Amino acid sequence: MTATLSVPASRRRDGQDYLRVGAGPALTAMWAGAAAVVFLWWHDTPFVTGLDGWLTNAGRITGLLAGYLVVLLLALMARVPALERGVGTDRLARWHAMAGRYTVCISVAHTLLIIWGYSVTAHASVLNQTGSFLTSYPDVLMATVALGLLVLVGVVSARAARRRVSYETWHFIHLYTYLAIALAFSHQFATGADFMTNLPARVLWSAMYVVVAVLLVWFRLVRPVVQALRHQLRVVEVRRESADTVSVWMSGRHLERLGIEPGQFFRWRFLTRGRWWAANPYSLSAAPSGNLLRITVKHAGEHSRGLFSLEPGTRVLAEGPFGAFTAGRRTRRKVLLIGGGVGITPIRALFESLPGEPGDLTLAYRATSASDIVFRDELEWIARERGAKLFYLLGSRGTKRRTDPLNAANLERHVPGLREHDVYLCGPPGMTERAQAELRKAGVPRRRIHHESFTF
Amino acid sequence: MTRILLAVVGTVLGLFALLSFKTHPLTTGSARGLPSASLPSASSGATPGAGSGAGSDSSSSAPPNPASKSTPPKAASSSSSTAQRTIAGQEVQTRYGIVQIQVVVSGSTIKNVSFLQLTADDPRSQEINDQAGPILLQETLSAQSSNIDTVSGATYTSEGYLQSLQSALDQAGIK
Repeated sequence: MTATLSVPASRRRDGQDYLRVGAGPALTAMWAGAAAVVFLWWHDTPFVTGLDGWLTNAGRITGLLAGYLVVLLLALMARVPALERGVGTDRLARWHAMAGRYTVCISVAHTLLIIWGYSVTAHASVLNQTGSFLTSYPDVLMATVALGLLVLVGVVSARAARRRVSYETWHFIHLYTYLAIALAFSHQFATGADFMTNLPARVLWSAMYVVVAVLLVWFRLVRPVVQALRHQLRVVEVRRESADTVSVWMSGRHLERLGIEPGQFFRWRFLTRGRWWAANPYSLSAAPSGNLLRITVKHAGEHSRGLFSLEPGTRVLAEGPFGAFTAGRRTRRKVLLIGGGVGITPIRALFESLPGEPGDLTLAYRATSASDIVFRDELEWIARERGAKLFYLLGSRGTKRRTDPLNAANLERHVPGLREHDVYLCGPPGMTERAQAELRKAGVPRRRIHHESFTF
Repeated sequence: MTRILLAVVGTVLGLFALLSFKTHPLTTGSARGLPSASLPSASSGATPGAGSGAGSDSSSSAPPNPASKSTPPKAASSSSSTAQRTIAGQEVQTRYGIVQIQVVVSGSTIKNVSFLQLTADDPRSQEINDQAGPILLQETLSAQSSNIDTVSGATYTSEGYLQSLQSALDQAGIK
């Protein structure tokens, strides 16, 4: 099974470019939404006076923002293809994590401010006021349970806690956010001053929730099922690439309809007894050819080690393609690809498929020693066929005494006119950070350094 | 870490800015209490403050007649100097805010005059109100009528004040 050298452009079958929403427009839309929410408060509030007015109104604004942000959090994770291709899964996940922490904090602030503000107005103690909220305000009890759930999820997700909690537990607890959002919804209309008397606001607000719910159901439930039925993926061959690396070839029907761009990844679920419940993200290590897909995995955890023993014929569910680490990011004719560790897999797919004349492409492969290099034959064959340059940066990680082989001087020596290149970068987090710093030092502007980094 | 700090500071400042923009039409010194002026009479033991709540009920809609009729039955000796009445004036919308006064009268003497409302749509108007309000009140007590000068530089507030005062004095039957 040799790699065939087809060079698919990043276009759909009908010749249209893929719909992408970039980070800039996406961020603008999110901020505009927040501004609209604040405007709703602004529009409904004649004036603010007194300590209680300040507190209660601060509580209202934070509450409205929290109601907006929880929906936004779901939208970011709805796996909408235009966002996945434009912004990138890794960045969406980071935004989700950041906004998630903020949402938990702002929900807590909303609760405290409202209790305090109302208690000042009513000349009641904070405890009495809390009691009357729970007992006599419609749906506030449910919302309080929702707050508890949100805080629980927040605490579990907090970075420190996540190292002590397994991925599965974390993921399972995360599902409670759906419950929390549902529980918190009704109190927004039942007690929210901006919604009680404002029908258009209620309609728009509900529409926002409904749209996101539809996106979630469609892209996270319906589409994967449709894809599984349509493509019928099965394992064809499992091949050992090095001592700790394995490639899995899969075949299926109508794969061209997946709209795969080289550099993208899928979430794979291998339907064997011990493995069907876990979906893991692996990049395609070759541009798709015919009815074959290939992933290459370095065994790092329980799941990836199990791949060595996969039997041909095993059914596979693949959700995707995801990721913006594709030709869509390119702005220059000349491209430098830097890969390290298992990050070589999407780089390998790009090296094979990025459009370019001989001399346009360069691949820098960072590895500790020659025995860690995977795809050596393939890469050298591609380089020869395409007239591309390939070099290795070997050696152990840099220390105070010894410089890392991946440094600005080395890169400039191997890559004439480095500044004029687009750089695609994929590797372990430490390497990616280091490479970015060195590239900046060599004068490559930040906007031309494209990288994908996952910390799932 | 810097991101967390930025988020917290940004949120707090943002909320603060939003809320402080909304404090424009402040009732003048709602925290300090609206200005009022009383005649320094030793005889008046009545507390004007207690009556203010009742007075404001009849504020906006009450025409002169019901107000003057509702008082006599209770106080048969309406002409006697001990019977004090608290009367709210009309609520007047000026170009820069709302003015409404309240008077406490005993017979035909204005014992006390105070603001029920004195709002300003912007900080500058509020400054003007703060300055002109007490002057208008003092002048009213001295003149014992609505025949007073407008405060220069506070024309709108003065005119609103006079209109509200006149409506109250009409109810009280003071000319």
